[in-house]
Amino acid sequence: MVTASLRKPISFCVLLLLLAPGAVSQTSVSAETPRGVIRLRVRVAQGDKARGLPRKRFFLIKGSLADHKTLVDQLERQQIVTRDCYYRNQGASTALIDWLAENDCESVYCREIELKNVEGIQAVPEFQRAVAAGEKEFGNRELARKWLTVNLAKELRSGFYKARQQRLTRFISQIENAGQTRVASVMTDRNGTAYFTDIEPGIYIISNLLPIEIGNNSSLWNCQVTIKAGDLATERPFLIGNPGNKDPRDAKNIKCVSVEKPLPVCESRVR
Amino acid sequence: MRPVSLRLLIVILALGAFLCGPALWLRGTSGQRRVRPRPVQTRPRSPATDYSKFLHTTKQHQAECLTCHNIPTSNSLEVRGYPDVADYPGHDACVSCHRRQFFRGAKPPICSVCHSKVSPRDDVRFAFRKPESARQFQVEFPHDTHQDVIAQRFTEVPNATFFVRASFSSRRRQQQTQQYNNCEICHAPRTAPPPAAAGGWIDGFTPDALTLKSMPANHGSCFNCHWKSEQPVKEDCGGCHRLPTPADQITSTDVPKRISMKFRHGREQHVMECTACHINITRSGTLRDLRPDVPISACSECHNKAPSHLEISDELAAIDKKRDFVCVYCHTSDVGKLEPPSGHYLIAERLPLKRRDIK
Repeated sequence: MVTASLRKPISFCVLLLLLAPGAVSQTSVSAETPRGVIRLRVRVAQGDKARGLPRKRFFLIKGSLADHKTLVDQLERQQIVTRDCYYRNQGASTALIDWLAENDCESVYCREIELKNVEGIQAVPEFQRAVAAGEKEFGNRELARKWLTVNLAKELRSGFYKARQQRLTRFISQIENAGQTRVASVMTDRNGTAYFTDIEPGIYIISNLLPIEIGNNSSLWNCQVTIKAGDLATERPFLIGNPGNKDPRDAKNIKCVSVEKPLPVCESRVR
Repeated sequence: MRPVSLRLLIVILALGAFLCGPALWLRGTSGQRRVRPRPVQTRPRSPATDYSKFLHTTKQHQAECLTCHNIPTSNSLEVRGYPDVADYPGHDACVSCHRRQFFRGAKPPICSVCHSKVSPRDDVRFAFRKPESARQFQVEFPHDTHQDVIAQRFTEVPNATFFVRASFSSRRRQQQTQQYNNCEICHAPRTAPPPAAAGGWIDGFTPDALTLKSMPANHGSCFNCHWKSEQPVKEDCGGCHRLPTPADQITSTDVPKRISMKFRHGREQHVMECTACHINITRSGTLRDLRPDVPISACSECHNKAPSHLEISDELAAIDKKRDFVCVYCHTSDVGKLEPPSGHYLIAERLPLKRRDIK
């Protein structure tokens, strides 16, 4: 009979070294080459209490900070266009900018546009116009509200997202062409956690490539991490934070801090 | 030869020419008719061709979608409640090539592609698309792009209070009550149990409505953004629908492949953001090779917790005692009888075993 278990801590450490991260997934992953996993945790704050940074994309770039010095310099020097500034430049109404700000949204797809946003004192003029056009097209006001975005101008609909995507694509192409490797990416969940799985052992940079707006600042992470075969998601997460995160729970565990800059002033027209 | 015979021969020949000439001439003209260009046959005229089945994979059926389909169809608002393709193409789409099949027999098989009753006096059609027919297209859906589009900007206002609807409320409380768009836009809770897979449920285990989330079943989940302007738009069917290559497997069932069939998404303790467990979905640019890649650590946080919730460890221990033990807490027997993945042993802080090594 095989002995039932090995519960001693020493045995567990041996296990960690022995087992491939096929262990991470319920589906068996080929264990021919041992692979690793990063459990990324992003927690930010502008005070004592930090919280997870939700729904933000992070990229995994093969190589060290020294290998990518030019890229890192480029990333840190880039001029960002803030969300509010983008929409102002597109001639968005104050009501639309306020709607986006109120809901922490980068685009109109972020959450449902409610009835109060198309009628009454909280109405957003762009939404009202889109609903009117939809009603004419579909002959149904409720459907016109639900399908509101199909009648919004493209700059207001997805322009901010697409402008950021263009810049991201350029950076990713640059990295992939130089290194002949694919850049992996994941998005953080509601708690600011994300997993990079099935990674070849080696040195990597975790970066968000485009600075993220946090309060009145922008944050850019370029964090070097070493993946060893057998690094597993069950281990302690790779915690990154911003300079404002003074949460005592995180203080000793933060592995990397973002470069923070004040958001640029936007001088543009408002309708 | 005698003169009489010669004269007789000449008469016979003349008579023959007189009688047969017109017939030969007619034959010649009918031969000309035969070489006239004829309508192109879309399918080889083999008796094996089953005209009761329409396939988009047929080469002649691969023209632009709008050649045959109307978008939207005139009945769509009534049938679906939104503009959509809710009906079959008209007769013109078929007749141009299949006139012959349209008039074959009292009940031409080709009619049953669309019509539930084959009769010139009845134009009743099946629901579109034909409910029982196999799917013919692979659907392309980049989860990563859609996750990005619904991204939020982060605003942290710690300890701030502000006036909301005549009451003081914390910003955090407001954030908790706001419902942002997430995976549930397309994967809403089910209102009814999923239909049984072909061959029935394994072990007779019937999942209830809370077990699985729903999947988009029609264009309603797409056209609300992609009706026009936002590519791919309604006319660009190929932006989402792709004919499969032989290597592809079309996701044709309403029930995806499950590893842990007994996991219920709707159970109170399991309600959380989808990406908390489906860790690779936000980097998936296609539906192909999509795997149910939930890490065992997502389960073990609760199901490997002493003293009362050691389900993973307990079932591994059961294998120690009986090597053909079937793990049933999460799995049906098709999965439960397999070797537990090494991750399960890791979570239980044990060395992995093979069933065959257990005496």
